[in-house]
Order: sequence, then structure tokens, then C-alpha cells
Amino acid sequence: VPDDWYRRVPGEEETEMAFEELLAELARRREKALAMGGEQRLARRRAEGHMNARQRLDALLDPGSFHESGLLATSFRPEARDRTPADGKIAGFGRVDGRPVAVVSNDFTVLGATSSVVNGKKIRHIRQVAHESGMPVVLLGESAGARMPDRMGAAGRSILGQDPAEFLRDRRTPWVSALLGSCYGSSTWYACLSDFVVMRKGSTMAVASGRVTELAIKQEVDPEELGGWKLHTGTTGLVDVAVDTDEQALETVRKFLSYLPSHNGEPPPAAPVPEGSDDAIKDILNIVPESRAKTYDVRELLSRLLDRETLFELKPRFGKSLVTGLGRLNGGTIGVIASNPKFKGGAIDVDACNKATSFLVLCDSFNVPIVFLVDQPGFLIGIEGEKRGAPGRIMNWMNALSLVSVPRIAITLRKNYGQAYLNMGGGRNSEEAAAWPSADFGFMDPATGVNVLHGIRYEDDPERFKKLMAEIEQDSAPWGLAATYEAKTVIDPRETREYLKQILLVHSRRPANGVGQHRLCCWPTSY
Amino acid sequence: MARIEVRIEITGNVWKVLARPGERVSEDDALLILESMKMEIPVLAPEDGVVKEILVSEGELITEGSLAVVLES
Repeated sequence: VPDDWYRRVPGEEETEMAFEELLAELARRREKALAMGGEQRLARRRAEGHMNARQRLDALLDPGSFHESGLLATSFRPEARDRTPADGKIAGFGRVDGRPVAVVSNDFTVLGATSSVVNGKKIRHIRQVAHESGMPVVLLGESAGARMPDRMGAAGRSILGQDPAEFLRDRRTPWVSALLGSCYGSSTWYACLSDFVVMRKGSTMAVASGRVTELAIKQEVDPEELGGWKLHTGTTGLVDVAVDTDEQALETVRKFLSYLPSHNGEPPPAAPVPEGSDDAIKDILNIVPESRAKTYDVRELLSRLLDRETLFELKPRFGKSLVTGLGRLNGGTIGVIASNPKFKGGAIDVDACNKATSFLVLCDSFNVPIVFLVDQPGFLIGIEGEKRGAPGRIMNWMNALSLVSVPRIAITLRKNYGQAYLNMGGGRNSEEAAAWPSADFGFMDPATGVNVLHGIRYEDDPERFKKLMAEIEQDSAPWGLAATYEAKTVIDPRETREYLKQILLVHSRRPANGVGQHRLCCWPTSY
Repeated sequence: MARIEVRIEITGNVWKVLARPGERVSEDDALLILESMKMEIPVLAPEDGVVKEILVSEGELITEGSLAVVLES
């Protein structure tokens, strides 16, 4: 036996030929997988004006950055192998603005991107790698639900629920979902586990499809009513933002990710400060009326306060009396919770409570400092709110706020009444509290206070009413809180941006490199 | 043509009726102004549409949930 026997390959002269065949086989299999559900189905999508699953990945990711995982995966059922390229869910890794992300793009042309054993393994792998290597997960949803007959009968049941962490959300890395068509089953579940959800108008998100629902409730179902964008952005709050096209949805995903770190072990990335960002604040006194009886749109104030064009509002159609949004101040990401008197006079309703709590969870999980801008007359009291459990929602919010470990700065602009004073960072519920000279810290509006405390109405005795109201107003002006060091400072409204720049620098948590404790990381995603 | 019902979300007095029947309005345009909680609170169009009916008048006390304006999209 020659010494180098192990180097020899039997029939070596045929090796090149054999590889050629194998490579041809690989190329053939790749081509088949990349053809997705076939030209006919792809053409139908084109005609409808929608991107296919691979085009979506191209639009989402930096050019040439996609590394696919599981291109050659198919259904485990022999009779379905030939018609299940990539098993209907295209998975892999790529980059967004140079930073790594993990992605799953549902291919509706392959059996409606239904959930199966093999594509379930793909999702699990992607999630696991994202968790361990610290990268966001992006889920491009469009799926019909569970694959049949795979999930039927005892055998079907026995393949369900084999991953006990399937629905666990611990927010180690950001998750983002885009709803781009009919979304039932996994696309819906993952959206409800995500930190941010964008929906293309015309898409549907629901527990079950219209057809299944019609069979169950024996009546016709309008898909928009069942799970359209208006329902989810305005009533359920499960979707943050609705857009018109696939392209806009994917651009929105990229934008959302730009505000957050890749994982919770690092601070959010810094960005350059757009030129002119310090100028807009100068006319702020024309935006906020001095009279507390007048309303305004706080977003006009935010656009002047933040770095130019960096406000990224979350859930703008839900719980509108509070604005929650990410933005940048001096290049760093901050989260803003701002009263919006334009809606319900800024009175905080149940939806606004839920919105504030979910935003606290997002900011705390990803090391984003929180700024409260407060101008609220209290919680919206009324029968509807009580029926929906308002007290529980208010305490849920307080519970979350007490667990927040990122810096919290509260600035009172005008009204700041009642228990909601605490929910909006009052007392020791924030690290720093500042007030504008127009701030009013009563327990209720001074005029209501005269009614409640002295039992008189304006029409009973106008002179006395005015005198008593002036007394109450004097007592609730910011000077008293500044004197007792509850308001750490009173600022000219035009100084607000400069104040925030300085105070955020003061509270930058240097020993931890700006990383918080994430005590809200396991807070339920929808509750 | 879809009927859009604009209901009052907060109890108050109708201070001003701004919308006129037949008028085209955009989402978030003020249709009425209520006086509530010592504030002038606008009631806004939930989406773009044309004003079909106004069911309240100035000075009237209206309660949460009551129908104030009907739009048609």
C-alpha cells in the first residue's frame, strides 16, 4: 500500500466529470428554487402591482448583502417536494445600512406561504442566530396560515408546539414585521410579537382568513372590516403605521431600525445632526398658545425640538391624545411621549394608556432615553373608559414606568393635572423634571377647582369666583415646585432643545455605556 | 360611497359648528368645537369625505358616544 493512499481518489480521472454533474444538479436545484411558485403566479402579482418575496428582500437589504439559508429546503411530504421551493418562506441574513439583520420573507406563490415543519425549522434557526449574534429580526408577512393536510390529525398535532420558545419574546434584539398582503397564522403571530409593525393598505391581518371566518360565523365578512389597516392602526393599535406600497413599507422598516441598536447590549447608533436643526425652535412661542383653553398639535412642536425631520411617530392613528415617537436630539435617539391637546384636549384615554406603556417597553428594552412633554388635563373620565378597564391600564403604565431603567426627563408645558402627573414622569418617576413658565400643576383645572373646593360656580358670584380662581392658579404655578426643588428648573420654551441636549448628556449612564437593565424586556407584547 | 359616523368622544357643550353640509373635508379637519374640561376641543374628521348631515347645534350639551356629524367618503 503506498504511503499516500489516502490522497488518492478511485477513478480520479472521472472526478472532474462527476463534479460537473453535481454542480449542474446544484445549479438546476437552485434555479428551480429561485423560480418560486412559477411564472404564472409571479405574473399575477406583477399585474396587481405587488412585489414578490425576493424583490422585497432586494428592496429591504443593502445591495448584494443577502445570504440565504435554506434555499433548497422543501416540504417534508414527498408528494409536495416539487412544488414547495424554499418551502414557501425565504430566510437568511443580510444588512440594513451596513448593520446585520436576520430576515424571513413569506413567499405567497408557494402554497400561500403556509406554515410547515421545514419552514418552521428555518424560522427557528433565523431567530436563534439573531438572538445569539445580536441582530434584529425582520419578518415580511404574507401567509395563509397552517399548511394542510400537514397539521391535521394526531400526526399534525404532534409536530405543533415542539419549540417551547416559539412565542417567547425577551427583546434581546428588535423585531419588526411588515404586513404585505393576506396575513393569517404565522405572519399575524409574529407581527403581534414584534416591536414595530407596518402594514401596506389593502392587506389583512386576522386570526383566520375571511373564508374560514365566514364558515364559522355564517355571515359574509369584509376583509377590511376583519383586519384592514384602519382597524389595526385606529382601533386595535396592533399596527403602528400604514403605507400605500410595498416599497414604502420596506423603507419604513429600514427607517425604524435606524433608530435602534442591533441588540440590547449597546446604545442606539449616533447619526449626524442635520444642518439647521437648532433654528426651528425659535418660533416655538407661536406654536403653543399661552391660554390653556386653546389647543395645538404637539407634533409641530416636536418637529422644531428634534433634529430636523427625525420624528418617527408610532401609532399616529391610535390613542391620539398622546404622541409616541422616536427621534434624534443632537444625533442621539430619544423616545418622546407628548400630550397632544389637538385630540380630546390631551385627556388620556385607555388607548393612549396602552400606547404609552408599549412605548416605555420599547425604549427601556433598547436603551432609548425617554422625554415626556406634558400638557394634559388628566385621564379621560367617562363610562366608556371604565368599561374598558381604565384604572387597570393606568396602573399598568405606572408599573411599567417604575421598572424603566433608561433616563427619563419630564417637561411640563402647560397643564399637568391629577394622577396623570405621575404617569407622565411626575415626582420621582423621572430623573429630571423641568417646567415652562406656563406650567400649571393643580390637581385639576383651576376653574373646576373653585367648583369642587368652594362649591360656587362662575354665574353664582363672578367676582368671588375670579378671586378664588386666581388664588388657586397662583398656588399651581411652576414657581412653587421650583422653590421646593420638585421642578429642577424653569426654562424659557425657546431653551427647551438646549436644555434637553445638556441634560441628556448629564444622564448618559457612562459606566454602563448607556445600556439599561431591561426590566421590561419580557413585558407582554399585546395585552 | 361609505357612510362615516363622527361620534363625540368627550362630553361637552357645542361651542361652534364649523362644518357645512355639502362641504368637502380632509382627515383631521375640525368639524365642531366643543367646550369641555374648560378647553376648546375640536371634533375632527376621521377621514376624508363630504359632510352629509350635522346633527348638533351650537350651545347644545352632547354626551360621549352621541352622533354629531355624518360624512360620506
